[in-house]
Amino acid sequence: MSSLSAAIQDVFNEPGCAKNANKSEAERKKGCTKQLQPGSAAGGCAFDGAKIALQPFTDVAHLVHGPIACEGNSWDNRGAASSGASIWRTGFTTDMNETDIVFGGEKRLYHAIREIVEKYNPTAIFVYQTCVPAMIGDDINAVCKAASQKFGKPVIPINSPGFVGPKSLGSKLAGEALLEHVIGTEEPDHTTPYDINLIGEYNLSGELWQVKPLFDELGIRILSCISGDGKYREVASSHRARAAMMVCSKAMINVARKMEERYGIPFFEGSFYGIQDSSDSLREIARLLVERGAPEDLIERTEAVIAREEARVWAAIEPYKPRFSGKRALLITGGVKSWSVVAALQEAGLELIGTSVKKSTKEDKERIKERMGQDAHMIEDMKPREMYKMLKDAKADIMLSGGKSQFVALKAAMPWLDINQERYHAYMGYVGMVKLVEEIDKALFNPMWEQLRRSAPWDDTANNRQLKAIAQTDALAAEIAADPALADTTRRAKKICFCKEVNLGTIEDAIRSHGLTSIEAVRRHTDAVGGCCKRRIEDILVAMPVSSPPAMLQAAE
Amino acid sequence: MAQNAEHVLDHFELFRGPEYQQMLDNKKKMYENPRDPAEVERIREWAKTPEYREKNFAREALTVNPAKACQPLGAVFASVGFEGTLPFVHGSQGCVAYYRSHLSRHFKEPSSCVSSSMTEDAAVFGGLNNMIDGLANSYNMYKPRMIAVSTTCMAEVIGDDLNAFIKTSKEKGSVPAEFDVPFAHTPAFVGSHVTGYDNALKGILEHFWDGKAGTTPKLERTPNEKINFIGGFDGYTVGNLREIKRIFELMGIQYTILADNSDVLDTPTDGEFRMYDGGTTLEDAANAVHAKATISMQQWCTEKTLPFISDHGHEVVAFNYPVGVSATDEFLMALSRISGKDIPDKLARERGRLIDAMADSNAHIHGKKFAIYGDPDLCYGLAAFLLELGAEPIHVLSTNGNKAWEAKLRALFAGSSFGQNCHAYPGRDLWHMRSLLFTEPVDFLIGNTYGKYLERDTGTPLIRIGFPIFDRHHHHRYPVWGYQGSMNILVKILDAIFEDIDKKTNVAGKTDYSFDIIR
Repeated sequence: MSSLSAAIQDVFNEPGCAKNANKSEAERKKGCTKQLQPGSAAGGCAFDGAKIALQPFTDVAHLVHGPIACEGNSWDNRGAASSGASIWRTGFTTDMNETDIVFGGEKRLYHAIREIVEKYNPTAIFVYQTCVPAMIGDDINAVCKAASQKFGKPVIPINSPGFVGPKSLGSKLAGEALLEHVIGTEEPDHTTPYDINLIGEYNLSGELWQVKPLFDELGIRILSCISGDGKYREVASSHRARAAMMVCSKAMINVARKMEERYGIPFFEGSFYGIQDSSDSLREIARLLVERGAPEDLIERTEAVIAREEARVWAAIEPYKPRFSGKRALLITGGVKSWSVVAALQEAGLELIGTSVKKSTKEDKERIKERMGQDAHMIEDMKPREMYKMLKDAKADIMLSGGKSQFVALKAAMPWLDINQERYHAYMGYVGMVKLVEEIDKALFNPMWEQLRRSAPWDDTANNRQLKAIAQTDALAAEIAADPALADTTRRAKKICFCKEVNLGTIEDAIRSHGLTSIEAVRRHTDAVGGCCKRRIEDILVAMPVSSPPAMLQAAE
Repeated sequence: MAQNAEHVLDHFELFRGPEYQQMLDNKKKMYENPRDPAEVERIREWAKTPEYREKNFAREALTVNPAKACQPLGAVFASVGFEGTLPFVHGSQGCVAYYRSHLSRHFKEPSSCVSSSMTEDAAVFGGLNNMIDGLANSYNMYKPRMIAVSTTCMAEVIGDDLNAFIKTSKEKGSVPAEFDVPFAHTPAFVGSHVTGYDNALKGILEHFWDGKAGTTPKLERTPNEKINFIGGFDGYTVGNLREIKRIFELMGIQYTILADNSDVLDTPTDGEFRMYDGGTTLEDAANAVHAKATISMQQWCTEKTLPFISDHGHEVVAFNYPVGVSATDEFLMALSRISGKDIPDKLARERGRLIDAMADSNAHIHGKKFAIYGDPDLCYGLAAFLLELGAEPIHVLSTNGNKAWEAKLRALFAGSSFGQNCHAYPGRDLWHMRSLLFTEPVDFLIGNTYGKYLERDTGTPLIRIGFPIFDRHHHHRYPVWGYQGSMNILVKILDAIFEDIDKKTNVAGKTDYSFDIIR
């Protein structure tokens, strides 16, 4: 087994990832997250995942080994901010050509590394593997090793060619590369009892800097941030931190967990989106540090800072209350952010009428219920048309979302504010929440939405596209309502497992006829993978009465 | 010597050489009565204060850096829009040279126009002889289909009677009796180039419709389905009129563009010099009286023409340089109402695209503050569009705007929550604008090329929209009317916003952490 497939297997075995831990041996082998479906729209590849995870290391030259496709379309595409070096923004690639593909690209890669060393002399070079050289068998590990020795400089292979899987896998493979080649290879100049690592924080739009002053004030030192505004030396010596925070995403959970395992650095998963979350995260950091031997007063000092900052931010949000009163918002975004900004928005006076839970965990959903009430719309995988109707029916005044949903929002003629990554404003920390509220205010009151809502003056009702689309959906809904059989067919046709296209009816039938009670059992009796659809199957199991096989069936047996 | 024949330096490099710098320094010291630099600096700073602004706005007699030009310029602009028409300005030739260079510098095209070259004698004894000779010469030399006469101040001050002069000239055989010589009195001491446009156009229509100065019977209106279109004085006439024709054709409306100068101000380079090109045919100009309606895109460019047309029995509709969704909607709805034709799907889609673009970028424009100056209608149209985008047109200044214009803008501001801090300044100049920009700063300035001095002095980035644009080429070829034209304005504004962000984030190692590829 090559080192790459070993690394992939290792990532799939990641015990920190609840999803993977619940898979069967066979499924784990099959792969992480959703299987890509040929012919359907898909997100970024493993290379992209690795690249965006590591690109924010600022004093590193990021060299992409492959034809122009990979780096040509991706260099400097993320607004991570750097406090110093800028070499991370320079696009380095071997730009492989036909000859390289026939005769192998290793030599070219080696020369490219040499030229970077000669002309730029960066602290380190990260070499990214891509599909083509991986397929022709270029051994970038060997080239990097040789180059490292020859030039006396860290040359780190990042083995995550696009074809191995999706973006999230790539991020984890990037983490593996750090664990294998970088972390623990150097020692910090000095250590303090207040040293922490931030893992999975990218300093987009300089967000981290909005929080850092609070750390500075408390005397907490970010020994290493992986990877926003990160330096090679910092991550190389990050194994001396006392505690770690995994920021927001599970993308690098393997790094956090393995550092705990290898170096005894405890970590927690936290977020700086939202006021409560910021406070919780600061508290947790202080608690972990004190547990690891930092002076006790840190906790008290942290509480003081939290109290001050919270008071400040609530005061800043206060003036928006009258403007937001009666305004309804929909929040469409993945995972943690969904519930973490809810409190702040509610405090600002917005009524939240729904949020997406596509990427949320069960706990996330519980939190949402807690904060928004039982009736909150929880939007899962939704067809654009359904989403459109829901937006329209909900009569929301604004939709807060990541870039992908904007199009539906716009077609549904609804104001929209981007709160995901490719945005211009930084929303992290206490200050960030005020900024978010300010931006929501602007979006809500922008007069151009009037144009969006209003149809063209010459449009009569019969000819209005929006109304037509709604009428179509409504007609369908009416038809379903009128015909119980059709309603049931429609209900049962709902896809539960997207990978294997297993619908609700099939699963319900299996549960009913075999008296299934666990996901494992459902998996055995249907084609459902039980990976990304695990939570949906759980919900079905909860919703179905725990039943022994029906009497008829028993009789038959 | 910094300069040598092997490698000739351009002026902006050459005079930075030490010997020239020395020379200029010496001249300053010895002959230019230099002031104490600290005192100069103090005054410079003082000129930025509210105190200075008050004095500046108390100015009564002096106009400093005017944002308007004179009537005959507008007359020439309108006249060249007719088939084979030579603008003939009765007055001094120096003025005419200005109109030609002004138009040439903006449109990057030759500008054909003659004058009667009045001199001192003419000023004393009247310009009749100049008219007689002038018409004869230009008729023979330039073979026009029509000569459109306007005037400079000189002729107006001595009171030359164009009607009588032209009649006499015809009697004396300067031009054939049946040759079309419409005329308009266009003194620069009244109004501005927009007034001149109005007068010249009215003069031409009057000529054809009202019996050619008493030589033929007046036209009897026999209504048809056509719509007349008047663009007004417009720096974007080339792109705009082509866009308007496209819209008319898409809607299937029969139309006559009056004063269609889109071809003569944009002739191809193909080996042939076209002194005249395209334009409204004289026949169409005459037949325009039969139309169902006349639409003017600029109310203040047609203040006299529209009532004149209306008196001849058909409907007139005026807009104020419509830009943006609502304004274009209104324009198209008017076309649709008058013609009875539907808005075609193609235009509906263009509308949707404009809204889409506005939605995509709204966050960047939202709440940005703008100062605008220019012709009255242009100012109004841009201010309305900015309000639609959620921006604030804080200062709107028009040297040739009047009280009625101010009132109309006030009503516009009152209708939008983004207009609450906005003010209109009629009759003010660019030195007033300078005080406004210093004392109530804005994010961007919209104006013509002359705005670059304000940009330099106040640091307010200039978005070049207006007339004249001398220092940027070819913008006049792109429309700013219709949904597609509005898109061009939107892009211009956005470009400026993003360039400004880049400029503020491009210091290596200091601010470039935000020097991003994706905005």
